[in-house]
Amino acid sequence: MQIPTEWIKEFCGIDATNDQMVNQLTMAGVECCFLDSSTQEILDLSLTPNRADCFSVVGICRELAVLNNLNIKTDKHDDLAIHHQGEMNIDIESPNDCPVFMTRIINNIGINRETPDWMIKRLESSGFKSNNIIVDITNYVMLETGQPLHAYDLSKIDSKIKVRRGYNNEKITLLDETVKKVNKTFLLITDNSKALGIAGIMGGQHSGISADTENIVLESACFNHKTIMGRSRMLNLHTESGLRFERGVDPLIQKHAIERATQLINEYSDGQNGPISVKQDDESIPLKQPIMLRKKRIHQILGITIANYKVDEILTKLDMRVVEQEYGYSGWLVTPPSFRYDINEECDLIEELARIYGYQNIDEKNEIQETTLFNTMKRATRINHINNVMVSRGYSEVINYSFISPSMNIMMGTDSKTIDIKNPLSIEMSVMRTSLLPGLLQNLMYNLQRQHENIKLFESAKIFTHNDKTNRENDVIAGISYGSRTKEQWGLESNPIDFYDVKGDLEMLFSSLEINDQVAYIKGSHPMLCPGKNAKIDLDGITIGHVGELSPELIMELDLVQTPILFEIDKEHLKLPNQMNYQDHPYFPSSRRDISLLIPENQETSAILKTIQRLEIPILKNVIIFDVYKGKNIEYGRKSVALGLIFQAKSRTLTDEEIDRYMSHIKRQIVSNFELKIR
Amino acid sequence: MTVILSDLLITALNEIKNSKTLADLDGIRVHYLGKKGKITAQLKLLGSMDPNEKPIFGQEINATKKRVEDELQLKKTELKKSTIAKNIETSSIDVTLPGRAYLSGSIHPITATLMEIENIFLGAGFVIKDGPEIENEYYNFSALNIPENHPARAMHDTFYVGSDLLLRTHTSPVQIRSMETEGVPIKVIAPGKVYRRDSDLTHIPMFHQVEGLVIDQGINFSHLKGILHGFINCFFEKELELRFRPSYFPFTEPSAEVDILSEDGKWLEILGCGMVHPKVLENLDLDSEIYTGYAFGMGVERLVMLKYDIKDIRVFYENDLNFIRQFN
Repeated sequence: MQIPTEWIKEFCGIDATNDQMVNQLTMAGVECCFLDSSTQEILDLSLTPNRADCFSVVGICRELAVLNNLNIKTDKHDDLAIHHQGEMNIDIESPNDCPVFMTRIINNIGINRETPDWMIKRLESSGFKSNNIIVDITNYVMLETGQPLHAYDLSKIDSKIKVRRGYNNEKITLLDETVKKVNKTFLLITDNSKALGIAGIMGGQHSGISADTENIVLESACFNHKTIMGRSRMLNLHTESGLRFERGVDPLIQKHAIERATQLINEYSDGQNGPISVKQDDESIPLKQPIMLRKKRIHQILGITIANYKVDEILTKLDMRVVEQEYGYSGWLVTPPSFRYDINEECDLIEELARIYGYQNIDEKNEIQETTLFNTMKRATRINHINNVMVSRGYSEVINYSFISPSMNIMMGTDSKTIDIKNPLSIEMSVMRTSLLPGLLQNLMYNLQRQHENIKLFESAKIFTHNDKTNRENDVIAGISYGSRTKEQWGLESNPIDFYDVKGDLEMLFSSLEINDQVAYIKGSHPMLCPGKNAKIDLDGITIGHVGELSPELIMELDLVQTPILFEIDKEHLKLPNQMNYQDHPYFPSSRRDISLLIPENQETSAILKTIQRLEIPILKNVIIFDVYKGKNIEYGRKSVALGLIFQAKSRTLTDEEIDRYMSHIKRQIVSNFELKIR
Repeated sequence: MTVILSDLLITALNEIKNSKTLADLDGIRVHYLGKKGKITAQLKLLGSMDPNEKPIFGQEINATKKRVEDELQLKKTELKKSTIAKNIETSSIDVTLPGRAYLSGSIHPITATLMEIENIFLGAGFVIKDGPEIENEYYNFSALNIPENHPARAMHDTFYVGSDLLLRTHTSPVQIRSMETEGVPIKVIAPGKVYRRDSDLTHIPMFHQVEGLVIDQGINFSHLKGILHGFINCFFEKELELRFRPSYFPFTEPSAEVDILSEDGKWLEILGCGMVHPKVLENLDLDSEIYTGYAFGMGVERLVMLKYDIKDIRVFYENDLNFIRQFN
């Protein structure tokens, strides 16, 4: 809401600088600033949803009056002259929806009179465009009092006004010429044959005043804010009137507002007034009930003691009726004014006290707490640990949006069940991602366009899938590597990153978590990865992720020169190891024996190693693969694999004979199990 | 001393003196002192000698041997030194060439800042809790005193993924869940991603929050002021002027926003907070007459922007390496 500062000053006669005014209001919870800080002419207020009472010049002035001990000028206009006895017939379907409904017929208005300049200036400063004199006056009175008014062209109303709920699928054409479909949750203003408007939100096109209007019906009503609440959002139709009604309009100002409007109409547009017709149900008017406020509760919530006289003074200034009570302890019975929809409970009163007393006057304290020690570091340590391993391997962390476009998600295959956003901002952000890999690929392309060369990225986030009618969220970590192993430099040949570089990164991660020995890489298939060049990663028999080259189709589609290697792992399986088991480490010398095997090209080396492992030779400490070769001097379809076997015992020095015996055992076993030659 | 022996000593010393390499020196050692060396051979003559001359001659041979050995050792040390010196002269390196470079990674500033915030609160005895990002209406709104149609819902423009399911608009639901499982007293922070249907220069549809909740007997507004002032000083690593000003959140009352005073004299909003609303406590089956609590929430992006003077919030999700690598 915007209000010109001169209007406020005129209204409450405040003697403060504009800066002081802004500061006072802000520190009392009415956040505001100047629209243009150099001129300080217009106050721009960001009202919180609870402060319906501040939606007017009167409301803001009330706040300023409390903060500056002022008395607001109360416009006591003499009862206006009544020129005729014409009244509109009113029918209220439910007084609960509409406890107060006042109308007045004003005949022979001068619709083509010009709005006075001062009013136009105030309206425009407040963000309203000047219209005809009648609309301008209704807007002006709304800004001044907080009461939205509506003017109908009398000639367009068929017999009477009826306030009723809408019918399902009932259509109405509004003042802004849009057609809205409503239902029975909406309250309508209607006549015998048609809807005249949506109550509290916007009038209808067919009943509004126009350039030929002579006689009008002025409406000043109080609708139940609970009936109006949410309707604007449902129609995506946000109006000044709707804003005020859904937060609550003072149920006691309808008469004042209609009188004020009439007075202005008479002054600037003539007209013959009829009497005010009142349809009011006293039972339904939301009047405030007294609230019990306990002194000790104030202390319990705020941590300070506010003197009794001060409590009384603050609440009284806020137009509350305060009666001190003795309940065996100090307290007050407090009745808030009708315009404070936000004050219904004791805690609301305590907030009022705090904000007027000043948050700055509440001391800062440190709470005294029991010292129970938890090992609360585990979670942070784990995240830190995993991130640090990735960073130490050269990966930079990225964060992408959790929602992506369907076309990006399709990279992950068409059979994955996605969770779709029902009201996305755009199609580009409409599907919850089922993998972090499409995002990483996008990050790769972005950074390549910015001429980065060797790119290693990782992301740690949730992925979302829909399975058997349940939504699943999984914490995963994913990465992409592209370019050369090292930057171009002297003294180091720069080789392209390949599968084994990334596998090495993962092995490093798994080793640091002490699970590397339980992890198996099994030739796999993955919609984004190259067949034959990717593996699924199993941990104790459960698939926890994938690693591999990007599929040739995607490489071609993205026009990439080199081959990115990607991985994605379910993070829930990456737990920090329990306390390590310490082992003694006596030293006895080790011996190494090398053998070279000629095996079929498609033979997985790990199978041979596994066979050797299964022999459970107690002194075989380690097997390293120190060469894999195919090509020259090796027959077609075969490859040469060179193994170094390292023998070491824990409590003695080994003899050559013993090692030779085991070597022949190993050779016999692998020759009989595999199609291979030992060279 | 026999003539032969003295001749041998003179030639040996001469050869040692003139030797140029360690290999020469070794040849000399073998030639004179080896198993079949010339001086060694003199020992064999001892057998055929007069027993009276034997000890004298024996001493003389040993003395000669010792002399040659000493000279060899001296010369060896000398040659080693000169070899090293020569090597150093010919093999020095250009120490100004750059060192071997490997790729180095970095943590995204949001993650780094989350860690920083978490560490500050861990130090104050808070426990960190996580929760689902897809939430239901109850945990995201109703339990937090935000009924349907309430105007406050306009503050939380929501993405829906089902009739009752939505992307959480704050991390407060995590606190409700923690309360349900763990009860009081509670002292938690909930960091994580949140979603709002909003996108412009200063708003993005996904961002990060850290929310905190403390519920116990005897907790009041002055404690809230104390902890947040402490946090802000720790986070910005300096004593900042700040103010608590009244605001509105449906789940706290009284509610406040905290502003810090920027260098150019402007108040900048950095977090929201308040005393937990009695209705929220009652939704959790707590007696609000006995238990009180405070809650606070902050946007991580905003904090990073204020700390490093970053102007455009969208830069966090472009994932430009030139941006990310600055926050090592």
